[in-house]
Amino acid sequence: MSNENKKKGFFLTRWFKRWFGPRQEMSALEEEQLQSPIRTIIKNFTGKKLSMFGLIGFLAVFLLVLIAPNYLEMDLGYQDSTLSNIPPTMNMMKVPSELKGNVKKISPGTTFAIGVDNDGEVYSWGYTNVAGGEMAHIPEEVQNAHIVDIAAGYDHAVALDDQGELYVWGNTRLQQDMFSPEMRQAMMKGGDAWNIVQLEASNQFSAVVTADGNLYLWGNGNMADIKVRKSYQGRIKKVALTGFAYVVLLDDGTVAYAGYKDKDSVLAKLPAALEGKKVVDIAATSQNAAAVTEDGQVVVWGNTTKGEKDVPELSSKPIDIYGGRYHYTVLCENGDVFAWGDNTHGQSEIPASVNAGGDIVNVYAGFFQNYAITSTGDIKTWGLRGYLCGTDDLGRDILTRIVHGGLVTMTVGALAVLISTVIGIVLGGLAGYFGGAIDMVVMRIAEVVGGLPFIPFAMILSAVLGSRVDTTQRMYIIMVVLGVLSWPSICRLVRAQILAEREKEFVTAAKAMGVKEGVIVFKHILPNVISILLVSMTLDFATCMLTESTLSYLGFGIPLPTPTWGNMLTGANNSIIIQQYWWRWVFPAAICGFCTICINLIGDGLRDAIDPKSAER
Amino acid sequence: MGKYILKRLGYMVIVFGVVSLLMYSLYNLIPTDPARAQLEPMKSTLKPAEYEQMYQELRSQMGLDAPLLVRYARWMGIVKDVDGTYSGLLQGEFGYSSFFKKDVVQVIVEPMKNTIFINIFSTILALAITIPLGIYCAVHKKSKFDSAVQVVTILGYSIPTYIIALIFIFFFCVVWQIFPIMGTKTAGMVYENGWQEFTDKLYHIALPVIVMTFGSLGGMTRYVRAAMIDSLGMDYIRTARAKGVKERIVIYSHAWRNALLPVITSIIGWFLSIFSGSVVIENTFSLNGMGKLYWQGLNNFDFELVLAIQMFYTVVSLIGMLIMDLSYGLVDPRVRVDK
Repeated sequence: MSNENKKKGFFLTRWFKRWFGPRQEMSALEEEQLQSPIRTIIKNFTGKKLSMFGLIGFLAVFLLVLIAPNYLEMDLGYQDSTLSNIPPTMNMMKVPSELKGNVKKISPGTTFAIGVDNDGEVYSWGYTNVAGGEMAHIPEEVQNAHIVDIAAGYDHAVALDDQGELYVWGNTRLQQDMFSPEMRQAMMKGGDAWNIVQLEASNQFSAVVTADGNLYLWGNGNMADIKVRKSYQGRIKKVALTGFAYVVLLDDGTVAYAGYKDKDSVLAKLPAALEGKKVVDIAATSQNAAAVTEDGQVVVWGNTTKGEKDVPELSSKPIDIYGGRYHYTVLCENGDVFAWGDNTHGQSEIPASVNAGGDIVNVYAGFFQNYAITSTGDIKTWGLRGYLCGTDDLGRDILTRIVHGGLVTMTVGALAVLISTVIGIVLGGLAGYFGGAIDMVVMRIAEVVGGLPFIPFAMILSAVLGSRVDTTQRMYIIMVVLGVLSWPSICRLVRAQILAEREKEFVTAAKAMGVKEGVIVFKHILPNVISILLVSMTLDFATCMLTESTLSYLGFGIPLPTPTWGNMLTGANNSIIIQQYWWRWVFPAAICGFCTICINLIGDGLRDAIDPKSAER
Repeated sequence: MGKYILKRLGYMVIVFGVVSLLMYSLYNLIPTDPARAQLEPMKSTLKPAEYEQMYQELRSQMGLDAPLLVRYARWMGIVKDVDGTYSGLLQGEFGYSSFFKKDVVQVIVEPMKNTIFINIFSTILALAITIPLGIYCAVHKKSKFDSAVQVVTILGYSIPTYIIALIFIFFFCVVWQIFPIMGTKTAGMVYENGWQEFTDKLYHIALPVIVMTFGSLGGMTRYVRAAMIDSLGMDYIRTARAKGVKERIVIYSHAWRNALLPVITSIIGWFLSIFSGSVVIENTFSLNGMGKLYWQGLNNFDFELVLAIQMFYTVVSLIGMLIMDLSYGLVDPRVRVDK
């Protein structure tokens, strides 16, 4: 290699050329002189495209599982039934272009949203196939009617036309479209009795408030409290629906729980902060409710698990409040928007552009999404855009679980290999160097351990030892089990290598100089076999990862909810998941397969690079 | 030869003893108390003192108070059990499955048949594919076909069996709907004759067999290929070719017979691993086989059953190792095992 050849160009291009470019031809003498064994190995390795592909692929996966978990946080206890089995999509907040600048109302549902424009036309977008109801199939009569108000619930949608007619579509199997008798009476009466001022929809039930102060609720009443105490009727100004109950704002500025299940509901216990204050607006999330008082105070009560009570410092007086599933959004007098509560999907992290103009005229928030309309008609969105790899049956993000699971799988694999290598080197070294009785005993033990059927034995150990310990300890147990069961191959390899090396002159020389035998084995002989060890460690790493994931797949490895690439696939072997929820098995299987393929490619390439004889094969 | 086999058999007995003792003591780590479990339903009707007395009686009746080694010896059938008879593994008493409420022997029969049925098919199929493929690749080393096979085999042995199974189910059962997804027979079907029963069973196990075969293709093909390349590079091959021996004879008689030795080693090792590998396959396809039984036993803490199956696995692997060593001598006269 001449001097001008060195250091030419950017180092990455140089590397790239060296790896993928045509190989420089050197005469045998030149090569012999210039290259140390290590350099030859590196050159042989980098010269093979397949091994380099493996190395780059593995590094990419490795960096992904090493770095990504820091950004994709995972809550092991997290689950959300409203977000289960969502296919990969990132378009949940992609508002149709026809709606832009002409919005009358937007109502976000779980994974979809519906909107109506000023011409009475209804649109739907996002992942619309929710729990057996296809939200995108807007009924014909809705398309023909002039719609003035809409509301999206968990799996149904309600629309109101200018004639006072209500339409329900989506999932209607749980009486979401069964209007109550009182409603029918009010509809017959017409006039103020059926002049709807507010339309709301929630978890399989819906509500309307009429101009004469009456509230009507209908839908699935099995779980939800959808009855109204007579004493409140005629005074109701606004309603806010939680997942299974509701609160109302009365015309005298007080808040009340108007349902019948007020005895055991924490919502019915109004906070002291509201006493004597006049409330201007109310909203509710799935578990709690919030009220804005006349003097600009926001009060939250009910079950708060996701930080809904941590109201931030508002820049001016709030005028409107909106509730999502776990977060609140408020619009202030000066046009600023604030949000707080759960931020798993970014729903309470307002983009800078929203508050920059200060010209927000309207905000629509619901479930996990937020839409802010500026005075120019622009729509700004934040919240749940979708999932790159979909979600599983408990509504957990598959991508997050893949990166966290990869970290677990790789850690277990790496430590198991380390354990088995240490045991293998020590026992193999002893057996190979000393021979005789030690050799006999060690090799017999190796035979017994190697002869045990691997997976059944690992299953037993994991079942027996793992039944009394927590997840972390169980992880260590799996590592140790894998390590303790897979050392015989390394032991045999080390022994065979040492048998060959120990007769060489440098060992005799060391012996003659009086070097201790232990030192000879581990300091003089071992470095000579380290390259071959490296190959077997690489290949064993892949095997250990496979075994761990197989064990976890069978339910005897790392237990749920801690994810690994194996246990993410547990239960995936039925036709419904394989066909309909393909993203639940394709992504973990793909990355697991890809990773082990890459590691095996590296191992094969290394072996060829170290042992030129095997490269001829 | 006879002396060697005897020596090996003696060694096998020792290893079996060590392994079984290990397994038995492993199971005794599990905090279960069969005496308490049996008395538990009556607990509410008895006075505490009475209960305690009955419990102690039952314990000594079941022989739970004896030291571990004694209990092990009873279980093996070396010493007399509490009731004064020999009833252990050596007498063919494998214990009582608490999950199936039957003797372990009765529980095992049907799954064992299924497992052997499946494994025989997949082994024959895999050998029939891998050996010719490996030889062909070795002879046509570095050809396009060879390179393609190399890449495919890396995929084959890198991807875990259950992922291969999922992919195959997706294509064969869901997309093309050729094979049934699970089970070993058509539900509610009455067979007119034995042949129909046989074909129906074949139809049901076709996909598991295909998956199992595919999963083992990778490693085996590479192994055969490497062994063949090694022996094709030997001097005697050059000599044979120089003499003008037909290429077919060079390959199959000169090279292949010499490549057989390392291949035999892995064939037998791999034959054994099919028993454990079938835990995954049988679970994925819900086949009533040994692997599935083992999995059920472990999941339901039916440890007598699991212990019996584990002993079966151990015996199979020990016999396998013996056959492996003996077959060396048969295949390659240079190896003299009795030395």
